[in-house]
Amino acid sequence: MRGSRHKSAERIIEKLLLASATIAVIIVFFIILYLFRDAYPAFKEVGLVKILTGMKWNPVGEPPSYGAYPLVVGTVLVTLGAMAFSIPLGIGSAIFISEIAPSRLKPGFKFLTELLSGIPSVVYGFFGLVVMTTWLRITFNQPTGESWLAGSILLGIMALPTIISVSEDAISSVPTDYKEASLAVGATKWQTIRNVVVPSALSGITAAIILGIGRAIGETMAVMMVTGNAAVLPEPITNVFSPIRTITGTLGIEMGEVAVGSSHYHALFALAVILFVIVLLVNSSALGVLMKLNEKFNPTEKKSRGWIPRAAASLLRRAFWGAIVVVILYFAYCRSGVRGSLEAGLVLAFFSVFVIILAHHPFPRHEQTAFFAAISGSAVVVLILLGVILYYIVSKGIPAISWEFLTQPPRDLGRGGGIFPAIVGTLYLIGGAMLIAVPPGVGAGIYLSEYAREGKITRLIRAGIDNLNGTPSIVFGLFGFAFLVLYLNFGISLLAGMITLGVMVLPTIVRTTEEAVKSVPQSLREASLAVGATKWQTIRNVVVPPAAPGVITGIILSVGRAAGETAPIMFTATVFSQRFLPHSPLDPVMALPYHLFVLTTSIPNSIQNAYGTALVLLVVVLLIYAAAAMIRFRYRRTVRW
Amino acid sequence: MDMNMGANMNNQTVIRTQDINLWYGTTHALTDITMEIQKNKVTALIGPSGCGKSTLIRVFDRMNDIINGCRIEGKVFFNGKNIYDPDIDVIEIRKKIGMIFQKPNPFPMSVYDNVAYGPRIHNVTKRAHLEEIVKKSLKLSALWNEVEDRLGQSALGLSGGQQQRLCIARALAVEPEVILMDEPTSALDPIATAKIEDLITDLKKQYTVVIVTHNMQQAARISDYTGFMYLGKLIEFGKTVQVFERPEQELTENYITGRFG
Repeated sequence: MRGSRHKSAERIIEKLLLASATIAVIIVFFIILYLFRDAYPAFKEVGLVKILTGMKWNPVGEPPSYGAYPLVVGTVLVTLGAMAFSIPLGIGSAIFISEIAPSRLKPGFKFLTELLSGIPSVVYGFFGLVVMTTWLRITFNQPTGESWLAGSILLGIMALPTIISVSEDAISSVPTDYKEASLAVGATKWQTIRNVVVPSALSGITAAIILGIGRAIGETMAVMMVTGNAAVLPEPITNVFSPIRTITGTLGIEMGEVAVGSSHYHALFALAVILFVIVLLVNSSALGVLMKLNEKFNPTEKKSRGWIPRAAASLLRRAFWGAIVVVILYFAYCRSGVRGSLEAGLVLAFFSVFVIILAHHPFPRHEQTAFFAAISGSAVVVLILLGVILYYIVSKGIPAISWEFLTQPPRDLGRGGGIFPAIVGTLYLIGGAMLIAVPPGVGAGIYLSEYAREGKITRLIRAGIDNLNGTPSIVFGLFGFAFLVLYLNFGISLLAGMITLGVMVLPTIVRTTEEAVKSVPQSLREASLAVGATKWQTIRNVVVPPAAPGVITGIILSVGRAAGETAPIMFTATVFSQRFLPHSPLDPVMALPYHLFVLTTSIPNSIQNAYGTALVLLVVVLLIYAAAAMIRFRYRRTVRW
Repeated sequence: MDMNMGANMNNQTVIRTQDINLWYGTTHALTDITMEIQKNKVTALIGPSGCGKSTLIRVFDRMNDIINGCRIEGKVFFNGKNIYDPDIDVIEIRKKIGMIFQKPNPFPMSVYDNVAYGPRIHNVTKRAHLEEIVKKSLKLSALWNEVEDRLGQSALGLSGGQQQRLCIARALAVEPEVILMDEPTSALDPIATAKIEDLITDLKKQYTVVIVTHNMQQAARISDYTGFMYLGKLIEFGKTVQVFERPEQELTENYITGRFG
């Protein structure tokens, strides 16, 4: 009978998708377990409390001391600074793109934002180290530019594309009906944006901020290159010119040198666990907020077993904004040189008036003008940042580029010769990573959206994947080093790098696929099922085509990320002295990001080739983006809503 | 509950439900629904919002299967077989019982591909045959003259009424016996509504139609049988003339005379 044939085929497909989801989940929990396994001896010997509260991080001292408090504070401060700068800019730019920019400019602006996200973190770090820290040092007349501020600015820029693109998606997907309904009752455009568009898109914007924070907390290379890495607390705590050291920076610096199995080795894993837990806390609380928001906008859902009562949540929100205002005021007070209580009072009064105006909106038209100016301004700032970075890399990189540079192995520790092995190594690494991650990732995403029953287990799986998604790339590097390189005895090899990168991008692919597939309207599925299509026929013909651009976007972002990442491969796949191509997957490779990192930080007088390498890395990544963007564009044209 | 058993003598029952109870989670959405749908007739389900009429119509082609937390008890016989038996192929059921939804939901594909979707799913691959089916279905749904020249264009460019007739054509293309319509005109203007109503009256020559409607006049105009539902119960069911002119239940009378709604 036809029906039974259908059924067995359907069952096989469902099993395959389930297998993908299972693989994804097993990897997630395996990594977590493995980290804890290697961190355990440190927790046992030193003790968690001592690690967290100890004021001194000196693992090579006699006796060694493993106090991570300055590192934790450093991580938090750098991230806060980055967010203070990138949240307003990012959300402003997102509103600009989706609501204010003339429609002709939108694709261009989105493209430029994608460009910003295509710049690998090591290139940011390179730019930060050779351009920005110098500028900071001279402009603010400081002994060094390598500081908290430098780290925050750089991380802020790096978090921008995530914040912009995710919020922009959320804002653009607010139905036009809502906007029209608001405009129809005489609201100004700004009132509509503030009261209708932004609240409707709030869950998406929150998600954008979470992702931005995740990116900032987890960033290793850029931070390591510009923050000075002194494991001290800023003195006073608001001194943004103080050098600072983050958890990720510590891992990046010390992991390469550490004796395997020593107490220092375990202490570094303990740090990775602490980092992981911080990310876990950020993500879980943010996911909680997200769920609350979803409930707010889908009030039909009966079960509202919230973890914060609504009134308390509103109070918390006020307290949060209040705290931010107080911090800004305090900071402004300390910096401004205003010392008299009269001046302080005036400043306070000025801010109070500002806040009152914000809260009561007495001048809707002027408010609109002011906010539109601010929003457009934020977009312009983002463009300028992009322009400055590209200008430096391109104008100084071009002189280094030659046929020899692209086709020859390096000479004289990279000061001369070319970067051919690094180019090929990078292509191998990302190709392998995608082969490993895309099939199970897309399968798991479809399974989670279409087959998995909503319940505790599905939620646990999703939470696990989300948390791994926000997990810093250096943690994957550590996992790859401990499990693939040491335990499975792959050695530092192409294969270990491919797997590490693949595992790193897997959660992103799973979740973006799931979200894209989920966003296809339920009515289309019903229409298909109603004419007797099977579940898989419905998914294949009706659900996947409109979701494809979203899925491809997720994969593009992953490819770009894999190509530019240094932290996951620096202990697992790359060896600087590797002058030749790998002959087997078990040979070490050279890769562009790592080559750039070593040139910048360890090889004096290699600045010209470093600029050249940065330019080539940038072009490789942007070519990948361009190819993928074209595929997406073609899809968009055939599937027109 | 009154069942107009007399009508069954000279008619053929296509769908018969027996003590249907349905829960969404803990909400009891349908209570003890027993009714019969007659072949080549139009049966209307009326009642205030939330009375369960849309839920009931989705019981007939097992569309509630896809809703999480939905539990159903009782039996629904389609041509004598219980469609909730475990060995029933739900795909075959949905092929024979088509459904039209409240909001037109064309796929983001061309007009042609929308109508050809069902036949293709059911392995009609010959071009000529497909074209014939598409043409026939569009003619049946009275849309052919309007879209003849734009079969290759996106269905999303059609007007709301045209989109809904396209959805009807899409349903007809798999040659169902029964067509379920869940408030098919609630999103349409009066002219488009009138066209769909004409279409329904035409369709019953070949098909059996069950329609959920909010609009009592519509039920009175186009249906042969009417069921009045309230709070998940089928209060009254019978010939439309009788339900509207001599309702047996006070609740029905109150509703159709507009005393609540």
